[in-house]
Amino acid sequence: MIDTLLSGQLLFSALVTGSLYALTALGLNLVYGTMRVLNVAHGDLVMLGAYAAFWAFTLWGISPLLAAPAVALIGAALGYAVYRGIFQRLLAAGAGHAGRIEGNSLLLFFGLSIIVQNAVALAFTPNNRAYAYLDEVVRIGSLSMTGNRIAALAIAGTTCIAVALFLRRSVIGLAMRAVIERREAAYVVGVDVDLVQLASFAIGFASAALAGVLMSMLEQFSPFSGFPFTIAGFIVIILGGLGNVMAGLLAALVLGVIETYGVALTSANLRSVLLYGCFVGALLLFPNGLFARRSVRA
Amino acid sequence: MKSSRMSRRSLVSGLFALAAMVAAAGAPAQADKPLRIGFSMARTGMLANATPSQLNTYELWKEQVNARGGMNVGGVKRKVEFVIYDDQSKPEQAVRIYEKLITDDKVDLLLAPWGTPFHIAIAPVVEKYKFPLVGNTAASVSLREVKPGYIWFTTSAIPDRIGVELTAFLKAQGVKSVVVLANVLPFTKEIKNFLEPELKKAGIDIKLSSEYPPDIKDMTAMLTQAKQANVDAVLALAYPGDSVLYAKQAKELGVNSPFQFIAIGPSDAFFPKAVGAASAEGVVTIAHWAPRPEWKGSQAFYDAYVKKFGEDPDFLNSALAWMSLEILEAAVAKNGLNKEKIRAMISTETFETINGKVKFNGVQNVITPTAFVQYQKGRLQIVWPASIATGRYEPKKGW
Amino acid sequence: MSEPLPDRGWLLVLAVGTALMAALPFVANDYLVGTGLTLLMWVALAQSWCVLSRLTGYVSLGHVVFYGLGAYLVVVTWQLVPLPLAILGAGLLAALFALAVGLPVLRVKGPYFVILTFGLAELVKYSIMAIESASGIASRILFGTPDLVRVYFAMFALAAAAILLLSWVSRSRFGHGLRSLRENELAAETLGVPVVRYKLLAFVLSAAIPGMVGAVMALRSTYFVVGQVFDPMISITVIAMAILGGGDNAKGPLLGVIFLTALSELLWAQAPLLYMIILGLVLVVFVLLVPDGLLGMFERRHSPTAARIGPSQ
Repeated sequence: MIDTLLSGQLLFSALVTGSLYALTALGLNLVYGTMRVLNVAHGDLVMLGAYAAFWAFTLWGISPLLAAPAVALIGAALGYAVYRGIFQRLLAAGAGHAGRIEGNSLLLFFGLSIIVQNAVALAFTPNNRAYAYLDEVVRIGSLSMTGNRIAALAIAGTTCIAVALFLRRSVIGLAMRAVIERREAAYVVGVDVDLVQLASFAIGFASAALAGVLMSMLEQFSPFSGFPFTIAGFIVIILGGLGNVMAGLLAALVLGVIETYGVALTSANLRSVLLYGCFVGALLLFPNGLFARRSVRA
Repeated sequence: MKSSRMSRRSLVSGLFALAAMVAAAGAPAQADKPLRIGFSMARTGMLANATPSQLNTYELWKEQVNARGGMNVGGVKRKVEFVIYDDQSKPEQAVRIYEKLITDDKVDLLLAPWGTPFHIAIAPVVEKYKFPLVGNTAASVSLREVKPGYIWFTTSAIPDRIGVELTAFLKAQGVKSVVVLANVLPFTKEIKNFLEPELKKAGIDIKLSSEYPPDIKDMTAMLTQAKQANVDAVLALAYPGDSVLYAKQAKELGVNSPFQFIAIGPSDAFFPKAVGAASAEGVVTIAHWAPRPEWKGSQAFYDAYVKKFGEDPDFLNSALAWMSLEILEAAVAKNGLNKEKIRAMISTETFETINGKVKFNGVQNVITPTAFVQYQKGRLQIVWPASIATGRYEPKKGW
Repeated sequence: MSEPLPDRGWLLVLAVGTALMAALPFVANDYLVGTGLTLLMWVALAQSWCVLSRLTGYVSLGHVVFYGLGAYLVVVTWQLVPLPLAILGAGLLAALFALAVGLPVLRVKGPYFVILTFGLAELVKYSIMAIESASGIASRILFGTPDLVRVYFAMFALAAAAILLLSWVSRSRFGHGLRSLRENELAAETLGVPVVRYKLLAFVLSAAIPGMVGAVMALRSTYFVVGQVFDPMISITVIAMAILGGGDNAKGPLLGVIFLTALSELLWAQAPLLYMIILGLVLVVFVLLVPDGLLGMFERRHSPTAARIGPSQ
């Protein structure tokens, strides 16, 4: 038991799980942070990304690694379209609409989620999909790693770090953090809030689609696979504090660790009990998230 | 103000109109001549990816029957029409659907849904309306508690028999130690409950016994321990969803015990496509059917299914579905739509099916043996028991 | 806007509706009775949900936890305890659970509260699953459940109780206190509203009826699967019905339930995937364009004065 715990095997597993959670949560956090909307359909974007990679691979033999940037770009384009097509019009229609969206964003996006899931089920059948790619096992010492899991970790990890750096270093990133922190003040200092929101939608959708591509290499999925990703994403961003992107990334890793090591110590049966237990416990102790800043709007 | 109020109202009424149009478009044409057969099938929800094998089989049968001029109803041929509803993977929906089929749609015959919970849920309904129904994809010891009368179960894969037979199979291969991994869903959990005492009785050492939830995403911890146990056989009591995960992670971690058993999943054509032919090779799973010259129609069924759907039938579920159809066909050919006579015949006679003879004692099929199949060179072969074997068991050579 | 007296139109509708539903099992076939049962179930669930979530603004996404607990109690005590006792016990269990977790849970606000309640429901679900499998139980089947008509009238009573509960709370001083904390919790507290006590009371009140609803519905499907009894879709459907209905009194959710049940009946049988897509469209349209729900639309047509002042949000 001890050697299982100390083995690199569990660590690797925790990192893979955590990095995918981080990538999923990233987009969710950006969209919530800048626009205060709870995108319950986020997991369905992951599902769409998975289907895109699946069809690319099974129909045209395109490796998911090659498809990944393309799918991410399509995701970004979709985010752009949704923002310009729906949200920009609604926000322009007046403050009344914006307040309404924020208040009812849960139900609105849930409606969108249902439409997407069932439209995909109608188009592609509800059957499970999976494919085998990069499934040769790499062994280093006592550590065994399937190629596709290494790839997923690498890509998810790099993307998260890249976005984190982008937020820290670039001008748009700074503008984004300003909008997340205090929107009205950002307007006042001349931040192009519209551009920031557009960018967060684009990056948000793109990262979700990318997570989907990576996920498709690792497990089976169906049109209804999105929901667990949405839930995982929400747990992560709430633990980290809504809108706090960096803390979200950390929370994702913590979640991956709890899941993997917690299960190893107890039993696979308790995985969800541990996950939700930690989540509920943490939130009851820290009602604004583990890493909440004092200035967070309720 | 007025225009937006109007447009809001008209939008809502528009939605209702749309709904009504869809409903009208879908309404079945009123006709007395076609034979209407009703059933529910999970097209959405958790089980949606397990049901196609059964639905396909029903559709194939309908096609063949109608090509022959229709189903033989007491000497008169009538074209078959299906009335299908989606039970959304919810047993209580299935209850409502069968109530609807019987009292509202007034169908002529009923076919079974997919899965044990659904069969058990609708048993009281068919009992109440005295409507005979030949079940198929249901397997639980609690089936025996269902009042015999209007429902029967063709399956032989009942968990207590599986426990006994699997243990015998393992003993015959000289297996001394096992690891048992069980999904907590009813069927696999039941198998575990019966299997472990049998293993202990046979003196086989259970080095590790672990359970996991149906939505598990990562088996690393469990499989690392399984690998360290270094046993002769790993028995993964899995469902289709986690069967693929198990195979992939067993490969990654190198869980290479020569006897690899996965309870449900590998009998479906989806499995080798998802994990790769090399990984699927040598996996043992539950099924009691394969095309055999001794079983009339088995090869024909296999060929017809492959021709129509471009993939193998599910050796467990598709076969069971077809068997139930054959039995129903035989009963209706002789007795027309007289429900009491149909019931009497199904309860007492022995039927010939693509799986050999079938006879019911109470609700259970007492002839078909509990059996296991193995992937050999891309095809499933029955490897146990010897009485119906089509191939010989070979240890698995890694993933 | 407060309503000191129930208006006559509403009472008439209620009376007619009650008479219709009471007569249903004697005139209709089993399938329609089943439909009526489903309608009554949603009425009971939606009305009880509103007691907390519409009045206080604390949107609970975990309403199913009470339902599930109630169902579990009945299944576990099946044939060990007389059924009426089990059903009442189910309501009690749910209320006690709400009492036990209410204080810490209600400290959390806004979107955090929404996801917390969801997490809580899932936690209870998985805990029960772990307990069941640890005790070696594969599945639970109830043989010999009461017939449809008995179940129907039990649900009828629960739906009536839920409507009465929400009506009473909505008109009472308690209800106004709840509304005040929805508008501004801090201000309400400063004005002397016992905010913590009121929230907790609303939470506990909203729990008892779903517990009993779950207990009664367990008798309907006979096969008990933890994952399906604690189905998140139940929580979501309840919210959808309440929001589509609009308002924060007993009228709105009733409209929402009837609307969605009618829509579902038209479509679920014929085209389930299409039904879900249309449901999604309905949700989107209502949130964006009909924010006051059906009740808002109705009130605007029939009482322009009220519409100008604004329906009781």
